[in-house]
Amino acid sequence: MSIQEFVKISGKNNNVRIGSRILEEKIQRAVEQGYRKIEIDACGQHGIGGRLWRAGKENILIRIIGQAGQRTGSLGFANTSIEIMGPVSDDVGWLNAGADIVVHGHAANGVANGMAQGRVYISGNIGSRGMTMTKSNPRFAPPEVWVLGSVGDYFGEFMAGGIAVVCGIEPQTPENVLGYRPLVGMVGGKVFFRGHHKGYSTNDAKFVSISDEEWSWFTKNISLYLNSINRIELLDKLLDREEWQLLCAKSPIEKRAVSRRSIASFKNSVWDRELGKGGLIGDLSDIDNSHIEVVSTGDLRRFVPVWENEKYMAPCQFYCPTGIPVQERWSLIRRGLFKEAVDLALTYSPFPASICGYLCPNLCMKGCTRGLSKMVPIDITMLGKASLDAELPELPAVLSGRKIAIIGGGPAGLSVAWQLRQMGHEPVVYDMSEELGGKITSLIPQSRIPNVVLTKEIERIKSVLSSVTLKHPLKREDTEKLLDDFDCLVLAVGAQKPRTIPVPGKELMITATDFLKRAKKDDIKLGEKVVIIGAGNVGCDVATEAYRLGASDITLIDVQEPAAFGQEKEDAEKAGAKFMWPCFTQEITKEGVILKSGKTLLADTVVISIGDVPDIDFIPKDIEISNGFVVVDENFQTSNSQIFAIGDMVAPGLLTDSIGSGRKAAQAIDRIFKGRSIDEDISEMIDIKRVSLEYYDPRIREFEDEKHCGSQCASCGSCRDCGICVAICPEAAISRKDNGNNEFEYIVDGEKCIGCGFCAGACPCGIWNLEPNTPLL
Amino acid sequence: MSTNTKIAPSTLSIKDLLWQIQWDKDKCTLCGKCCAVCPVNAIELGVFRKRIVETSLEPDKSSSNNFKVFHGIRQKTDPVFACIGCGMCSLVCPNDSIIPFKNEETDKVKFHINRDGQPKKRGGRRNSKGGLLDEIKFIRISMLTDPALDAGRHEFELKTLLGRVLSPEKTIEHLKNKGWIPPVREIYPLIIGGMSFGALSPNMWEGLQMGVAYLNEEMNMPVRICTGEGGCPPRLLRSRFLQYVILQIASGYFGWDEIIHAIPEMKVDPCAIEIKYGQGAKPGDGGLLMWNKVNKLIAAIRGVPQGISLPSPPTHQTQYSIEESVAKMIQSMCMAWGFRVPVYPKISGSSTALAVLNNLTRNQYASGLSIDGEDGGTGAAYNVSMDHMGYPIASNIRESYLNLAALGMQNEIPLFAGGGVGKNGNLAANAAALIMLGASGVQVGKYIMQAAAGCLGSESDRCNVCNIGLCPKGITSQDPRLYRRLNPEDVAQRVVDVFLSFDTELRKIVAPLGRSTSLPIGMSDALGISDYYAAEKLKIKYVV
Repeated sequence: MSIQEFVKISGKNNNVRIGSRILEEKIQRAVEQGYRKIEIDACGQHGIGGRLWRAGKENILIRIIGQAGQRTGSLGFANTSIEIMGPVSDDVGWLNAGADIVVHGHAANGVANGMAQGRVYISGNIGSRGMTMTKSNPRFAPPEVWVLGSVGDYFGEFMAGGIAVVCGIEPQTPENVLGYRPLVGMVGGKVFFRGHHKGYSTNDAKFVSISDEEWSWFTKNISLYLNSINRIELLDKLLDREEWQLLCAKSPIEKRAVSRRSIASFKNSVWDRELGKGGLIGDLSDIDNSHIEVVSTGDLRRFVPVWENEKYMAPCQFYCPTGIPVQERWSLIRRGLFKEAVDLALTYSPFPASICGYLCPNLCMKGCTRGLSKMVPIDITMLGKASLDAELPELPAVLSGRKIAIIGGGPAGLSVAWQLRQMGHEPVVYDMSEELGGKITSLIPQSRIPNVVLTKEIERIKSVLSSVTLKHPLKREDTEKLLDDFDCLVLAVGAQKPRTIPVPGKELMITATDFLKRAKKDDIKLGEKVVIIGAGNVGCDVATEAYRLGASDITLIDVQEPAAFGQEKEDAEKAGAKFMWPCFTQEITKEGVILKSGKTLLADTVVISIGDVPDIDFIPKDIEISNGFVVVDENFQTSNSQIFAIGDMVAPGLLTDSIGSGRKAAQAIDRIFKGRSIDEDISEMIDIKRVSLEYYDPRIREFEDEKHCGSQCASCGSCRDCGICVAICPEAAISRKDNGNNEFEYIVDGEKCIGCGFCAGACPCGIWNLEPNTPLL
Repeated sequence: MSTNTKIAPSTLSIKDLLWQIQWDKDKCTLCGKCCAVCPVNAIELGVFRKRIVETSLEPDKSSSNNFKVFHGIRQKTDPVFACIGCGMCSLVCPNDSIIPFKNEETDKVKFHINRDGQPKKRGGRRNSKGGLLDEIKFIRISMLTDPALDAGRHEFELKTLLGRVLSPEKTIEHLKNKGWIPPVREIYPLIIGGMSFGALSPNMWEGLQMGVAYLNEEMNMPVRICTGEGGCPPRLLRSRFLQYVILQIASGYFGWDEIIHAIPEMKVDPCAIEIKYGQGAKPGDGGLLMWNKVNKLIAAIRGVPQGISLPSPPTHQTQYSIEESVAKMIQSMCMAWGFRVPVYPKISGSSTALAVLNNLTRNQYASGLSIDGEDGGTGAAYNVSMDHMGYPIASNIRESYLNLAALGMQNEIPLFAGGGVGKNGNLAANAAALIMLGASGVQVGKYIMQAAAGCLGSESDRCNVCNIGLCPKGITSQDPRLYRRLNPEDVAQRVVDVFLSFDTELRKIVAPLGRSTSLPIGMSDALGISDYYAAEKLKIKYVV
C-alpha cells in the first residue's frame, strides 16, 4: 500500500470495539510508519487525530467515518487536518493547537474549548459552551470556529481570542442563534453572526461595525469554509454584509465604565417623579437640603463669635465693694489719659486717695486675674494716692428738689450724700461730731494715713455738700420728725457702742474706740505694758498707736485665731506686738489680765477691742433690728421703706464696704425717685478662664509707674483695642469699626467667618465669645 | 493645659484622656478649620508663652530672659469636652498637622462622665473588637464533588423568603378548602435594618431609601429596608417604593396614625411589618429621641408636637408575654392590610429566644422571627446596656434553627439575624456564616452607616455621639448645618455599591458549595471553626 493513499484503521477488532488507547497507538504507529492519510472507522473512541507531531511538517489527513468520540482533534497539531464525516461528540478541538477540523454534521457541547490555533468547521449546530476559553497567541494566527447553524447556551465564556462565525443557516433555535447568556467573561476575539439573538453579556462584549478589512477577511475565508463543508451554494446568501453582525470583547477600560443609570438621573426621572419635587419630605419641609462644605460660613456656621465688650465685670471691679471700674482706669492710663483715670474714682467714692491709696486692703488686687498665675496684681495704690489731686466732676446745676436726710457723716454717709448730689438730689448731712469723716477722722491712726490727705479729701467733699450740720445729736423724736421734712432718710451712724465682756474689773478696761480717739489727739498716757483683748484689725490699730505713744510690751489676745490681716496686722507686728490665742479672760486687775488658765498677763493698760455695735436709740421703733444691727434688703432699705441704712449700722465691714453701701443705696433711692424698678441687673463677673495672661511677663514683680501698671493690666472683659483678633482671624473676617467719639467696636463679617473661635482663643481680655449659631429649624 | 488652680477629683490632664490630640506646631498654618469642625469643641486656639533664656558666662555680657508668645491648638481636658477621636480635625487640616491618637491606658474620662449622678449614655456600638462570626470558615469547597460553580460565570438566584411557608400538606389542604395562604415575599437576603427617621438625618434616610429603590428598579435586586420606629414620610407611604419597605412598629408607636391614615391611599402594600420587641445593642433599654432633635419635620412624621422628648419604653405596656403579643399585635397588624402583608416580631438576642420562637411556630400569622444580637448598633443607650447586655447572634440563631429543625419546621418560619454583621468589614462572610447557621437573611445597620455614609465609629470607642445630634458626618443629626454635609445621592450610590459587591462576595462563598438557585440556609456542614467549644456549641466542624 502506498503511503500516498488512505490507510484504514478500524475502531474494532473482530467486531469488538477497541479502547481509545489501542486506537491511539495504532494511529501513532501508522504516522511513524510514514502514512499521511488515515481513514478511521471510529467506534466512539476519544481524542482521535490529536498529537500527530511525529509527521513533522508533513501534512496529515485524518478522515473519520463511523462515530467519532469525545475530544476529537484535541491537542491537535498544525500539520493535521481532520474530516469527520458525520456529527461529533463533546469537546471537539479541545486544546487544539493548530489542527483544521471539519465536521460534516452537528457537534455536541464544548466545541473548541481552550483552542488556541487551528480551525473547526461545523456544518450544523453546536451544543453548549462552544468557543469557551479560546486563546489567541500572537505567534500564530487566531483560532477559528465556523458554525453553519446556531450555537448552544453559554457560548464564548471567557473567550480570550479567536474568531467565531455563526451563519444562522437552518439553526436549531432560529429566534436565538447565539444561545442563552453568550460571551460571559469574554476578554478577546470576535464573533460574527447572522440571525436573531437574545442578548449577550453586555459587561464583557459590545457590537462593533464590520470594517472593510474584516469583511475582506470574511469573504475570503467563508469560501474556504463552505467548500470544506460542501455548501458553496450558500455563498451568495452569506455574502450579504447587511445580515451580519459583529461582537467583540470590551477593553478592560470599557468594562470598568459601568453602563448603569446614574443616581442623579434616577433621582430626577424616577425618584422625584414618583414622590414629587423635593423627594421624601418635599411636602413637609422647605429646608434646603443641598450638599454643603464641611467648613462653612454665614448661616451655615455652627458657631458665631460675639464681641462681648464690657458685658461682664472685671474681677477688680467685681470685688471692689465700692464698685470702682479699676480696669477702666488702667485703660485710660494706656490711652495717656492720666487725669481722667485719676478723676474717675472720685465719681465712685469721695475718698479715692484715702481709701484706695492708704486704708483699703484693696480687694481689687486680691481678685486680680493675674494673681491666679502667681503674677503680681496690678498696684492700685499708686493710682489711689494720685487721686488726691482728682478734680470734682461737673455737677447737675438744676436740682431735682428731692431732699434726703443723712444721719452720720462718716464714709457711708458721705458716700450716699456724694452719689445723691451727683444725681442732682439734695442730701442734708447730720453728724454728732465736730468733723466729717466718721471713724476715718476720729479713729484711724495717723500712721496709716497722712493727715494732709484726709483733710484734703474731707474738704473736697464738703465743698460740694451744701448742707452739713455737725455736732447735732438726734433723739428718736427728732429722727421721726425728719421723716416729715425729707423724701427719705439714710441712717449711717456706724457702730459706735463698743462691745465689752462681763468680767470682774471690766471698769479697768478702756475701749478701743476711746483709746484711738484719744490717741489721735495725743490725749492719753500709757505704761510700758499694754494688753489688747481682741486681736482684730482695730486691735492692731490700738497696738500700733500704743507703740507710737511709748508702750514697749504689747500683747493682743483672742479667743480664737486672730482675724487681723493686711496692713494693720503688719504694722502691729512691726510695733513688736505679740499675738496669743486662745485666751479666755477671767478677770481684770490692776496687775493686768488674769486668764482662765490661771496665767496673768501683766498690763499697765488693758484695751478691749472686740467690736462695736450701732447706737440705735435714736432710730424709729418700726425698724427691724437683728443682733444689734439694722436689717436691710439688697437695696439697703429698712423695714420702713422711707428709711435706708448703710455702713457699719448694717454689718461691720471695711471702709470700702461702707462707701459701696452708700453708692448702692443712692442708686436705689434715685430709682425710687424716678419710679423705675428697684431691681437692678447685677452684672456678672467675667469667667477669668477667658482671659489670656500668657501675653504678660510673669517675672515682673513690681511696677515702675502707673503707665507700667496700665500696660500689664489684663483688661479683663474690657477690650484693650489691641487688634490681635483682627490679626489671628484666619479668614480676615474681623475688622475694627470706629464709631467716633473715641468709641469703637470690632465686627465680624459672617460671610467670611468659619466660626473657629480663634478670636476668642487669642483675645487677651476675654472679650470674644463663641456662641452656637441660631438654630435653623 | 497649664493650671495652677486647685484640683478637683475630676480634674484631668491630657494623659488621662482616651483620645489625645497630637498637633504639630511646625506644620500648622493656623487656618482654624480643625476648631471650626470639631463636633464637641474639644480643641481651641491656645495662647502659649515660651521662655527663652540666653545665657552668657562672659562678665561683660549678662544672661537674659525673654518671653515669647505663640498660638496653637490646645486640647481641653474637661471631661465634658473630651475628644471623641472622630478625626474631623485631620480630615479638614490642609497641612496634616493634627490627628487624635488613642491612649493605651484605661479611659479615665469613663470614671468622671457621670456628673450629677447621670451614667453615661452614648450612641454607636459595643466597642468590642473581634467576634465569632469572623472566625467561622467555609470549609466545604467543592471542585468535583458537587457541581462546581463559578461566581463570575454562573447565574445565581440569591433570594430568600420572608413569610410563613406552609407545609406541602397544609398548602394542599388550604388550597382545597379555599383557606388562607399566608403571604410570602421573595427578597434579597441582606436587609437594611430598622433605623428611624429621627435617629437618622433626613438626608441619610432619603439616601438609603433612594439606593434601595435603585437596586430594585435598576438592578432587579429585591432589596428591602426597615423603617425603624419613627414613622414613615407620607409621600413614601403613598408611593410604589413602599413595596421595598418593611414598616416597623415598636413600643413608642410613633407615626402609626399617619401610616393608618395612608392605608386607603397606598398604591402598593409594604413588604412586611416588623414588630420590635427588643434591640440587640441595648436589651432592656428603650429608645429616646431628645426634645432638641424633635424639630418640625420629625414631629410631622412621628405625629407628635414639636420640641418634646420621645421615649420608646423598653416594653410594650399592654403586652407581657409572647402569647399576648401574638394574640394581639401580630394578628392586628395582619388585619391592617387584609392579611396580605407578612408580620414578624424582632427580639433582641436572648436566652429566652426559644420561648418566643416556639410560640410563633404555633401561630399561623407569624411570618418569621428576627433576632438581633449583642453586637448591634444604636442611636442612644446607656453604656451599661450597650457594653454588658445582650446575647451573641451566632449561637442564638443556631439554637433557634436547630429547634425549628427538631420540629420539622425549618422551612416554614424564616429566621433573620442581625447584630454585628460585618462589624469588622467582613459583611458577606458574616452574612453567609449566619445563613449557613440557619438564618434566612440578615439585617445590617452599622455596616450600612459606615459603608454608605462614612460613619466614623469603630470598635475603638471612636466618635459614638449619635445620641446628641452632633454627628460630624451628618448621619444622625437633625441640624441642617451637619446633615447637609451628607448628600443623599452619594449615599444612594454607596448603597448600590455595597449591595453589588456584597452580591459578588456572597456568590464567591456559595458557588464552591454548588449552590446557585437557593441559599444554603442551615447548611452547617460547610462551616468550620478552630475553637473546639464554639464548634460543639454551634454543631459545626472543628477544624485546625
